[in-house]
Amino acid sequence: MFHLIEAFSIALRMIVSGDAVVFSIALRTLLIASASTLAATLLFVPLGCLIHFNSFRGKRLARGFIQTMYSVPTVFVGMLVFLMVSRAGPLGGMGILFSPWAIILGEIILIFPIITGLTLSALQGTGKGLEDTAIALGARRRTMVLKVLTEARYTMLTSVLMGFGRAVSEVGVAIMVGGNIAGHTRTLTTAIALGVGKGETASSIALGLILLSLAMIVSIMVNLLQHGGNR
Amino acid sequence: MILQMKNIHLTKEKNRILRGVSINVPEGSFFVLMGPTGCGKTSLLRLAGLLAKPDSGEVHFHGIPVPSKGEALFQTRRRIATMFQTPVMFSGTVWSNVSWGLKIRGISKTEVVRRVEQILDFTGLENFAQRDASTLSGGERRRTALARALVLNPELLILDEPTTSLDPSFKRDLLSRLNEIHSRTGTTFLMATHDFTDALAVGTIGAVMRHGLVTQAGSIDELLFKPENSFMASFTGMRNIFPAEFAGSMARVGEVDVAHAGDRNGHGFLAIPPESIVLALSKKVTSERNRLTGIVKSVERSGINWDVEVEVSDISLTVAVTTGALNELSVTTGSSIYISFKASAVHLF
Amino acid sequence: MKRSIVLAMLALILAGCGEEPLPLQTGEADSAIEEATEVGTVAPIARVERLRVATTTSLYDTGLWGYLEPMFEDMYGVELDVLYAGTGKALDWGMRGDVDVVTVHSRTREELFVSEGFGLERVPFAYNYFLVVGPADDPAGISGMSPEEAFSVLMENGEAVFVSRGDDSGTHGKERSIWTAAGFDYEAEVRTAGSWYVEGGSGMGPTLVMANEMQGYTLSDIGTYLAYQGDLDLVPVVDQGDALLNVYSVLQVGASRNPELSAALVEFLTSSEVQRLIGDYGVEAYGMQLFSPCAGQDI
Repeated sequence: MFHLIEAFSIALRMIVSGDAVVFSIALRTLLIASASTLAATLLFVPLGCLIHFNSFRGKRLARGFIQTMYSVPTVFVGMLVFLMVSRAGPLGGMGILFSPWAIILGEIILIFPIITGLTLSALQGTGKGLEDTAIALGARRRTMVLKVLTEARYTMLTSVLMGFGRAVSEVGVAIMVGGNIAGHTRTLTTAIALGVGKGETASSIALGLILLSLAMIVSIMVNLLQHGGNR
Repeated sequence: MILQMKNIHLTKEKNRILRGVSINVPEGSFFVLMGPTGCGKTSLLRLAGLLAKPDSGEVHFHGIPVPSKGEALFQTRRRIATMFQTPVMFSGTVWSNVSWGLKIRGISKTEVVRRVEQILDFTGLENFAQRDASTLSGGERRRTALARALVLNPELLILDEPTTSLDPSFKRDLLSRLNEIHSRTGTTFLMATHDFTDALAVGTIGAVMRHGLVTQAGSIDELLFKPENSFMASFTGMRNIFPAEFAGSMARVGEVDVAHAGDRNGHGFLAIPPESIVLALSKKVTSERNRLTGIVKSVERSGINWDVEVEVSDISLTVAVTTGALNELSVTTGSSIYISFKASAVHLF
Repeated sequence: MKRSIVLAMLALILAGCGEEPLPLQTGEADSAIEEATEVGTVAPIARVERLRVATTTSLYDTGLWGYLEPMFEDMYGVELDVLYAGTGKALDWGMRGDVDVVTVHSRTREELFVSEGFGLERVPFAYNYFLVVGPADDPAGISGMSPEEAFSVLMENGEAVFVSRGDDSGTHGKERSIWTAAGFDYEAEVRTAGSWYVEGGSGMGPTLVMANEMQGYTLSDIGTYLAYQGDLDLVPVVDQGDALLNVYSVLQVGASRNPELSAALVEFLTSSEVQRLIGDYGVEAYGMQLFSPCAGQDI
């Protein structure tokens, strides 16, 4: 017990004093997760819109598939990306295994269903009535689409935040394709996994607290947005 | 005719929603489309509002067939406004909701302000302009939706069940507002309702649908007083409908002979409106050709009047009686009573 | 207000994107989590060569690689990425061409790796001994026995917990060879022996922590044991026997994209200067030698 309290106080001191290693890991984690989220947003929010605003054969199937993918285990994605970008794999030529780019690629795949699926739900959540209302009031199709996007913007931003939350807190992809290389691919989660294994409680707690704060900031923002959206 | 729909067919997920519907909506009329829930009214209105396409059939606007796609369709759609059964509010104020349709038409700001202010006054929403639309009550939402559509000065305003789930007082208020707006603007109204009394309150002309077909169309009076079939009779609230064997000016209903004003033979239906039956305690000599004796089976309140159920031989008639008359006659269950009604009051169909 | 949140988010994301190449590619080492020291800044990825070495966890958890890494980087102006894994996984990465060099400790597997053409040459560079560690009260009474005897007693006892790495690592391979030498069929008899035989499935450090929590025995390399000793109640119970010899070798991967630097790393580890540093490593901290240098010996 005493050990734990002591570790906690060291952890707090590390955070308050701005421990360089702890903060560089936190910053790297933020950047990797942000880059993944940004790329996934640019790719999959439009994809969600395309699926929502168009009718095509197999639309329901696509929707179901995306929802099933919500719970895809991170280690599965990690394995998949590893096999793809390993030099023996089809994308081996890119030479990105054990680099931040591999983690970013893995996290983009990992949060694909979350961002696409939640974008779809956000657009669906505005209801068919909204689209009809806009058209009935004389909107052209693109004006209608814009109106629906405006109405759904907070819920859509929520989906992006949820994606970020998942990217920032996942460990499977980061450790399998990043390799947890100090100063290169070490993120909050992989550093904690290693630190706990080595019994380095204080620094693990410090990293854990930062990770927890990030996750909490994300969920607070989600809550604020949902409140704003419901107003 | 501002709107003509000709032989419209529509199938959704293998359900035949519309099976050859034709309606003609004269310009300037208040056309009421009636029928029970699920008869296809809403689907027909979506087609009339040019929000969907029929599988087959034609929609004419001012006598010209509406194209199925393209800019021409879009421009025609802009001359029609639809208010849905459950209005969806855009996020923002009542003002932003009502002004939206004008803004997307690129109308100048001063003109938008002028027209929105005018329409808010018109719909009694002048004090709601800055209210957040998501905080409105059901009735206020309907009025906002109405204002949002009316502000566009549509040539045809389509209203899908505007009175459902409104309190009776709000319902009367909305209907009288619609009536007033209709007479002041000259806009053609096409309104769907499952409640025939709505039609009586506002309509001039209409059609009744059943199972994806128009069962009868015409003026509201015709629909009410000249039902062409028993469905129409019961839909318009007509009671005392019986199958009958006709022979000249007489008809046999069960074991009871009924005199009527027509001349008909064979099997059919007849209806005796409860309001046209008179109750009496003694057998008086009256001008009514139908005079019968019965036993009171039940007395029930119906609005401000009472429904008295009288058993005559093997049929059962409902008689509408005022409270005053009920007290005067001291009608009680089980007592004998005389009833009479004019031959001309009997509807044949 | 709402719009400003959106803008702030966007700004954050965009800012993150713009600055990205910098911190992702800096070469700071983690003094707390890693035993390497400085927080350096190194030029972006495009201009710096990277060399990947996959190492067995014992060389990582003892901090030896964290100690040697900056030296090599300074000497050759290269970023050295140190990946830790069990011997099996490290060699697998080598076979796939995902790493340039491996440092592992399983002679048979290393020889196989070379004979199948994946590695150039098996070069031993350090050794130490394995230990069987366990609770101080030694519930199975195996203290002082030979490793084979000790394992036989554990099997008979059937109650005292033994935590195996169970991860196809070099240490795990060593453990299996001791079971075989003691006359047991590993797959058929040992793995199915009962709930006292626990397969941990993690690195050496976590396995020691697990054995400590369960008050059981485990086979550990001396280096990792000493590095973790402060946090453990476990003591060495068996430390004599030829079977306990633990040799670390470095192998250049045949498919390495940077054969020159890979060769340089092999040379670096076997150079007399580094050999001396390996011999001295940890003496001050633990009061005893963790690794004995052995470059040039065939063991």
